[in-house]
Amino acid sequence: MISVTFVNRDGDSMKVKAKVGDTFLDAAINNDVDLEGFGACEGTLSCSTCHIIFKKEDFDKLPDKPSDEEMDMLDLAYGLCDTSRLGCQITLTESMDGIVVTVPAQVADARNR
Amino acid sequence: MINYLLICDLNFTIDKDFSKFEGEGRPLYLDAQATTPVDPRVLDAMLPYMTNYYGNPHSRTHSYGWESEKAVEVAREQVAKLINADPKEIIFTSGATESNNIAIKGVARFYKMKKNHIITTQTEHKCVLDSCRVLEGEGFEVTYLPVLPSGLIDLNSLQNAIRPTTVLVSIMSVNNEIGVKQPLAEIGAMCRKAKVFFHCDAAQAVGKIPIDVESMSIDLMSISGHKVYGPKGVGALYVRRRPRVRIEALQSGGGQERGIRSGTVPTPLTVGIGAACEIAQQELKYDHARISKLSQRLIDQISHSLTHVIRNGDPEHSYPGCVNLSFAYVEGESLLMALKDVALSSGSACTSASLEPSYVLRAIGAEEDLAHSSIRFGIGRFTTEAEVDYTAQKCIHQVTKLREMSPLWEMVQEGIDLKSIKWTQH
Repeated sequence: MISVTFVNRDGDSMKVKAKVGDTFLDAAINNDVDLEGFGACEGTLSCSTCHIIFKKEDFDKLPDKPSDEEMDMLDLAYGLCDTSRLGCQITLTESMDGIVVTVPAQVADARNR
Repeated sequence: MINYLLICDLNFTIDKDFSKFEGEGRPLYLDAQATTPVDPRVLDAMLPYMTNYYGNPHSRTHSYGWESEKAVEVAREQVAKLINADPKEIIFTSGATESNNIAIKGVARFYKMKKNHIITTQTEHKCVLDSCRVLEGEGFEVTYLPVLPSGLIDLNSLQNAIRPTTVLVSIMSVNNEIGVKQPLAEIGAMCRKAKVFFHCDAAQAVGKIPIDVESMSIDLMSISGHKVYGPKGVGALYVRRRPRVRIEALQSGGGQERGIRSGTVPTPLTVGIGAACEIAQQELKYDHARISKLSQRLIDQISHSLTHVIRNGDPEHSYPGCVNLSFAYVEGESLLMALKDVALSSGSACTSASLEPSYVLRAIGAEEDLAHSSIRFGIGRFTTEAEVDYTAQKCIHQVTKLREMSPLWEMVQEGIDLKSIKWTQH
């Protein structure tokens, strides 16, 4: 088990424990992390709601480059930046223990406003 | 077909005042760079989507939507094939102007945190130059590369202009005023090496000369429907996926067209540009050979009977369907009026309302008076040999007449060097 921290839109940190081999999306769902609408398509690369932003040094250490399909969905995400990825596509490894990721400020879902 | 359109009452008639000339009918059309007629085969392809298949292609829940979406995807494939791209890399827009705006502003703004320099040329279309000017107002630095007298860019000056902070190079393929073809493959290779995005405004080139986004290392490309015998009001933007080019969208909305261009995709227009591209791909070689012959025929006839005619732009590295000639000692507007039964232009349509002579001609170093004397002959798929002969003969006749009236011409004939004269004011 490793620890992963999600920093949400209000700046709150949510530290959770996750299994190596799960994705960031699994980590969020399994621990009931309070993120509205996160992972709407359940990891099938059909949305951009699991959009997370890494710190540069963590981003550079990610093992796989995003596939074309992930890039296509990522292009539609709000707050896209250089270190953005889709959480459902990244598998947790031992070296990611203690990693902190930010969930971007805006979402395409306007229901909460 | 033209007679039919004149006869049937469509709530308007072609005003006789617009076409005062000697005979019946309408002027010969030799302004292919301004626009091209819709190919009848393109119209055939479009019509069902104007009448029966009127669904919104984004309607997911019924067959009206599905059939409309299918037509759009077929068109996307047709456009992609013409330029050797993947259909997923084609975005439909309202025309090349919009495509240019999206490409330049969108790429620049997305990467502005890291890079803020753009390179373009002085002979680009107004929409490219104006987009760059807007970006300058936002804090970007833009280098407007000069061109050689041939109209081509100097590859060395491009190399020297590239900085570590350069994000985009935007250079058109075929110039709309003088027809000059820039060396795309060399420019693309240079940009790829420097890790700079290469945008090419190919509105006048697509479907007329072979364009291959892979071999030419093009990252973004603008395509215009009505320059390739398609309908007006539609264009496309090629956006490379590998390596990925990211764009900040100009038009916000429902996320259509990969989020780059929201808005309902106009199925009939899209089907039109798709069909136009497919036809262009099939007929490219034939059209090019035919147009080259007609172009040479026009130039030969004119230069055989007239002296002091200058071709603007490199004759070798040019698209033959665009011939820009300056007739010394003849004023361009008066020649156009004299040739009233041939539809021609001097300079580009988008700047024809202004009084200034063409900035493209100025960029290639044409002298002020020669720039005012230039005429652009546009030869297209439907131009006939008889039309070319008529135009050439009329041109020779009118130029001769106008020169006979010109005191400057008289002086030149007498061997006087006009540059040595001290003109006085009255």
